[in-house]
Amino acid sequence: MRDPELSRTPSRIGAAASALRAWLAALLRHRRPQPDGRGVLIFNNRNDGPPDLDELWRDFNRKLSGLFGGKGGPMRSGGGGDDGGGGPSFQPDMKSAGIGVGLISVVALLIWLGSGFFIVQEGHQAVVTTFGKYSHTKDAGFQWRMPYPVQAHEVVAVTQLQSVEVGRNAVVQATGLRDSSMLTQDENIVDIRFVVQYRRADARAYLFENFRPDEAVVMAAESAVREIVGRSRVDQVLYEQRDAIAADLVKSIQAQLDRLKAGIVIANVNVQNVFVPDPVQAAFNDALKATADRDRFKNEGQAYASDVIPKARGTAARLLEEAEGYRSRVIAQAEGDGQRFRSVLTEYLRAPVVTRDRLYLETMQQVYSNVTKIMVDSRAGSNLLYLPLDRLLQQSGAPTGTAAAPAATAPAATAPAPAAIDPTGTQSVDIRSRDGARTRDREGR
Amino acid sequence: MNRIGLIVAGALVVLMLAASTLFVVDQRQVGVVYALGEIKEVIIEPGLKFKLPPPFQNVVFLDKRVQTLDSPETRPIFTAEKKSLVIDWLVKWRISEPRQFIRNNGADFRNLENRLAPVVQAAFNEEVTRRNVSAVLATEREKVMTDVKARLIEEGKDFGIEIVDVRIKRVDFVADITDSVYRRMESERKQVANELRSQGAADGEKIRADADRQREVIIAEAYRDAQKVKGDGDAKASALYADAFGRDPQFAQFYRSLEAYRASFRTRSDMMVLDPSSEFFRAMRGGAPAK
Repeated sequence: MRDPELSRTPSRIGAAASALRAWLAALLRHRRPQPDGRGVLIFNNRNDGPPDLDELWRDFNRKLSGLFGGKGGPMRSGGGGDDGGGGPSFQPDMKSAGIGVGLISVVALLIWLGSGFFIVQEGHQAVVTTFGKYSHTKDAGFQWRMPYPVQAHEVVAVTQLQSVEVGRNAVVQATGLRDSSMLTQDENIVDIRFVVQYRRADARAYLFENFRPDEAVVMAAESAVREIVGRSRVDQVLYEQRDAIAADLVKSIQAQLDRLKAGIVIANVNVQNVFVPDPVQAAFNDALKATADRDRFKNEGQAYASDVIPKARGTAARLLEEAEGYRSRVIAQAEGDGQRFRSVLTEYLRAPVVTRDRLYLETMQQVYSNVTKIMVDSRAGSNLLYLPLDRLLQQSGAPTGTAAAPAATAPAATAPAPAAIDPTGTQSVDIRSRDGARTRDREGR
Repeated sequence: MNRIGLIVAGALVVLMLAASTLFVVDQRQVGVVYALGEIKEVIIEPGLKFKLPPPFQNVVFLDKRVQTLDSPETRPIFTAEKKSLVIDWLVKWRISEPRQFIRNNGADFRNLENRLAPVVQAAFNEEVTRRNVSAVLATEREKVMTDVKARLIEEGKDFGIEIVDVRIKRVDFVADITDSVYRRMESERKQVANELRSQGAADGEKIRADADRQREVIIAEAYRDAQKVKGDGDAKASALYADAFGRDPQFAQFYRSLEAYRASFRTRSDMMVLDPSSEFFRAMRGGAPAK
């Protein structure tokens, strides 16, 4: 952030001073062996403090009085560039003095011309002006211009990236807001801090077109960011379009500077900080959290779904498999039963009565041997027969209850099966069998 | 000796004359040459120039680069809907008519800025009061700037300046409104937050309900298919039974009855109250074999 205004003046004064010094020094060294022009030049270009001028001055006066035969007095500017011209009618002393003056002039001229050399650092450009008027631009390297006061040069760092921060913490009185705060389109307030990086690409325009062009960058940036934020919604500024804002900023700042012909090229804009003012920070954070909450609720729902649906699929598969199993079982049982019946039937057909009675008796034996039974002769007994059924059940049930349990498990695999085939079917079979039993009873009587 | 002195003196005089009559107009400046207080000449082209020595002519330099006028004080402006906005602006200007400029302002830039600022402020006032906040803020911001610039161009001519650019820098509410803006922002955020949360809850519930529905459908469909399969099995079994039992339905009935008895009475807890008159006990009663 070097101010060209400030750097310019001292360099001019410096040039003038060094020219004068060079000239004085040359005068002094004239009589000494080898006035080394180059050494003088280096001495000239070094901007260290002037060598003891008083002493130089005394020395100079002494020499002059020696030359002009006791004629003292300050004649600093008298030497001039003009040739003193040693006239032929002069005394040999004067003649040599004339030659001396000529030599002085030549050397002074050389040194004056030499003061036009200057070095432009890499990445800089020097703008050369002739009597204040722009003449040309020199690139980096060892350069020469016409010396002061004809030409002057000013150096501008053209490739170096300058960077300036926009948005300060200071509070503006009229609005009670920080300097970096601004309104969005939906009339929210946001704070934006960013850094603008730019190059002074065109040295000539940079120097001559604008008063304090570096400040113009800051102003353009402030104006641009408010314009861009002013047409964006707060969510866009905060979350969605940060990158777009940076890009827009570059464009807008550049457009403003181009209108001013500032000779500045915006390299980039880094949006460092976008935030809302402290009083509403908590609310914004909560809204952000709400977004997370929303996603969490959704995810929890998803999690539930991913738990329930596969389980339902499993249940469905189980139902189907069970059904398949049932079908196979039922069919196989039917086949088995049928086969068995068929075999029995074959034998039955050979001897129907015997087989029938045998089957009946075997079955009844099996049945009666298992169950608790009470025989009551209804014909012999009276109607007042008292049967304490519950007591009897208790007596008989208790001891067999334990024994029956393991026994019950064994036939359980097959036993419920025929019962479950078809409830109505079994019922009808029961009824029929009861009927059959009755008919047989009647037959027996 | 005298010659040298003369030469030296002559050179001195020449130098002094040159210093008082020659002057350099910088690239950044315009030179205004006064002749006895009157503007004699305006030099725009930079370079080495000539004038008469001081008592007769002297020269004043004016910066001809683009200058910036920043809004000096921030006075609130009422918009069309009576909200007060603080508007910061900046005006970029440069000298275009040095004569006019000096006649109007003298050579002092500060003087000009003091006079120009109220003019710009007034122009902004007029443009802003016609619009509402959102127009100034967003939709017509550019338009406000160009309109103000258009107004200023004429005024600028009187001042001898050219208006290069007019920019709105800051558009903010005044401090009193700022607090209510904060409150509104807060309530807006709260609304957004609530909406997000209930949206999330709704979405979550929807997903859950959908999952439940899918579960019901899957299980019901599976049940349907299972029943179909079972029915198929039952039908096949029935056919097989019918095929087997159909050979002798009477015997089949008898046979099945026996099976059923066996299945029905199996444990001790089954109690039978028997009448010895049944066929089973025929032998017990000492009866002869039937038939």
